[in-house]
Amino acid sequence: MAVPTQPGVIQIDETATKESLATPWNVVVHNDPINLMTYVTMVFQRVFGYPREKAERHMLEVHQRGRSIVWSGGREQAEHYVHQLQSYQLLTTMEKS
Amino acid sequence: MNPLRVSAADEKHIRITGIPPVLVFCLRDLPHILEKRDQPDAHSRLFPAPTRNDMKANHDWEQLIVPELRHLFVTSGETVARDLAKLEEESMETHSCCVTFAAVHLNAWISAINEARLILGELNSVTEQDMNQEDLDLDDPKQFAILKIGALGWLLQLLVTVAGGPAGEPR
Repeated sequence: MAVPTQPGVIQIDETATKESLATPWNVVVHNDPINLMTYVTMVFQRVFGYPREKAERHMLEVHQRGRSIVWSGGREQAEHYVHQLQSYQLLTTMEKS
Repeated sequence: MNPLRVSAADEKHIRITGIPPVLVFCLRDLPHILEKRDQPDAHSRLFPAPTRNDMKANHDWEQLIVPELRHLFVTSGETVARDLAKLEEESMETHSCCVTFAAVHLNAWISAINEARLILGELNSVTEQDMNQEDLDLDDPKQFAILKIGALGWLLQLLVTVAGGPAGEPR
């Protein structure tokens, strides 16, 4: 949170900023009834470079549990992955870990 | 009857052969299906908000990212529509067709067909149970949509196999 101290000077609450930057974000892919399992597996391999087994594990988790956390990390990178996955039309969101 | 087949015609081209009449119908309908991408239900499926409750992030996404994604989808659809103009009859007996297109268009084909399936699914509220139906009443608009989703999925499956996962063309 930014706190004004004197004119023209803004003091940044360092602790809050560090905490905000440090909080990992989860990239979540949600199930839908239409996407083919092979298609979803292919997308995970392409976007994350996951080996087929890992990509299939996430695909099955999406299919059976309704969602899978496919990646966790910094917010900027999470946004990048959401963008990538949405460009492949997977139902994707991000949330704080 | 020749089976539906997707293969490399040469190093730079892909050829789809044995396209049965039902799939020819679905492919010819593809551009019309894709035009429905901006209907509210289809739009919210294709361009979902990235977060559940960060309204500012969701607003920025809608302003900055959604137009880019939409442009990508529109471009893919246009590429496929141009390729589909080359669809030709391969057998007068079975009325099956074939088409050849540039290998660099493969991702556009995958994207456009997948998008069309999602639009049909969303606009007809298709569920997982619906997708498992075997006997379809084609006079019922929803069941007709399920038939189209299935037929396009059949081709998509073959295109994904040819794309070969991560070895396929990068986007």
